[in-house]
Amino acid sequence: MTITNLIRSELRKVATTTMPWSFLAVLVVLAVTNGVAVAVGTDMDGSKTFISTGTDQQSLMAFAANALMIAGLFGAIAAAREYANNTVIATYLNTPDRTRALGAQFAAIGAAGAILGLLGSALTVGAVAVSLPLTEYGFMASTGGVIQIVAASIWAGAIGAVLGAGIGTIVRNTGGAVAGAVLALVIAPPLIVQLASGAAPWIPASLAVVASGVADHTSVTAAVAALGAWAIVPAIAALLSVHRRDVV
Amino acid sequence: MTRLSRSPSSGHYQLVFDHVTKRYGDHSVVDELTFTVEPGRVTGFLGPNGSGKSTTMKILLDLASANHGTTTIGGHRYRDLPDPAGTVGVVLEPNAFHPGRSGRNHLRILAQAVGQPTDRVDETLAEVGLSPEAARRRVSTYSLGMKQRLSLAGALLADPPVLVLDEPANGLDPQGIRELRDLLRARAARGHTVLVSSHLLAEVQHLVDDIVVINQGRLMTTGPIAALTRKAAVVRTPRPQQLSEHLVAKGADVEPDESGALVVTGLDLEEIGDAAHTAGITLHELSVQADSLEDLFMSLTSATQSHQAAAHTHQVPARTHQAPTRTTKAPTRTSKESVLS
Repeated sequence: MTITNLIRSELRKVATTTMPWSFLAVLVVLAVTNGVAVAVGTDMDGSKTFISTGTDQQSLMAFAANALMIAGLFGAIAAAREYANNTVIATYLNTPDRTRALGAQFAAIGAAGAILGLLGSALTVGAVAVSLPLTEYGFMASTGGVIQIVAASIWAGAIGAVLGAGIGTIVRNTGGAVAGAVLALVIAPPLIVQLASGAAPWIPASLAVVASGVADHTSVTAAVAALGAWAIVPAIAALLSVHRRDVV
Repeated sequence: MTRLSRSPSSGHYQLVFDHVTKRYGDHSVVDELTFTVEPGRVTGFLGPNGSGKSTTMKILLDLASANHGTTTIGGHRYRDLPDPAGTVGVVLEPNAFHPGRSGRNHLRILAQAVGQPTDRVDETLAEVGLSPEAARRRVSTYSLGMKQRLSLAGALLADPPVLVLDEPANGLDPQGIRELRDLLRARAARGHTVLVSSHLLAEVQHLVDDIVVINQGRLMTTGPIAALTRKAAVVRTPRPQQLSEHLVAKGADVEPDESGALVVTGLDLEEIGDAAHTAGITLHELSVQADSLEDLFMSLTSATQSHQAAAHTHQVPARTHQAPTRTTKAPTRTSKESVLS
């Protein structure tokens, strides 16, 4: 069997449950919330300066940090459910080479995360674009800026999904995997910054905004690479885990 | 031990378990387990709950690692088979499905992973008796029997020459059990290797050619079921006293039963017949009195438990009965070739 077959099979796994639709619903809710905020929201002084420039609008539409979190939860649930439902047995029976099987699974979950990132950013940009005519400001973000927002969101979605899948594979329990993803993406980073303030530019949320082009703590290239590292660590740990542990 | 594993290219696969041991901490789940499963036969893998059957199967399939010993399929470890999913069809867990996925999609995922065409999904669904309407439904709406059929469909998807099935009859209705029996018999008749674990002993007795009985991870006995459950010969003659004397002289144990027949152990049917013929004694019946599989199973497993209990009571190491293992294919015996024990 080819790796392409395996990845397609894993993609079908993701696509043949209701979970992607649930996450899509979350993305729609977030986009609508953004649109409503643009249409009726104001700053503390009652003005709408938060959408008054192209940079402000790009910052509002930057979805990468959200994509990282949402796709992280998606990946954690998708991977952990394989163990909870015992469907992982068929996976490793079909592909006893666990590196190959896990690689196909992570590729598929990463692709699904990328699609979530794409949809999340596209919906958000669309909602903001639709809402802006209801205000005194037009759509001022540059095409390049929008492309960067979407690209960063796609990357963050893929990275978040692989990070979550790594945690899900290690924990093998859906609740524990979700808790692990929240810990890794929400709780642990600020604690790390408290322990080492120099780490602040390298936590996922900081890297996501840099990748989206709305901050410049580091270079975009470094931010993209560092985001990748956040996924590589749990992915490698997961790989070691599946090689060392019995499947069931 | 003798290894008769044939090359996978021949299409016949012997399963070999060679001194397999699996421990969790200090507890041995599988303990020096050695037996073989022959192609062309249906082999029942029996043992009480928690005796290590599922773990042994998982070790064979590289889902669990052994602390010691090896398992091979046609001379190869599962992971080294050129086409593992196309070689071995497996049913392990009764609920190895995503509940929100349809039965058909479950099979399509498996088919895609192993490079089988979608047409094969429909063929296999028909083979196990799952209707197209049922296949479109979510697995969460299935009965246990339907889940078993779906599991079996997954195992048959690539038409593999080896089947390893853990409790496949669980939840099946009588018709389903008969269909399963026919299917497995047909597979064995084609030279396929079939290993089936079950606790439905009456059903197994009708299904299998050979049995492997384990208890507390240790081999109790293995061999053709016909030989293992054969116990004694029943002889009816108008001259029981004279025949009894002749048979005892040849080393047999003879007991009359309540109907007046002689129950003979220690000689096979052929020897009894010859002895009667030599003595000029007419026989009205010469037949085998067989134990049920349940009797055999209970005697093997309860003996171990008794030994274990005694060992715990007296604080001495437990000894368990271990019958001699058969590692080669036993010839098919007719009643006249029976070995009585």
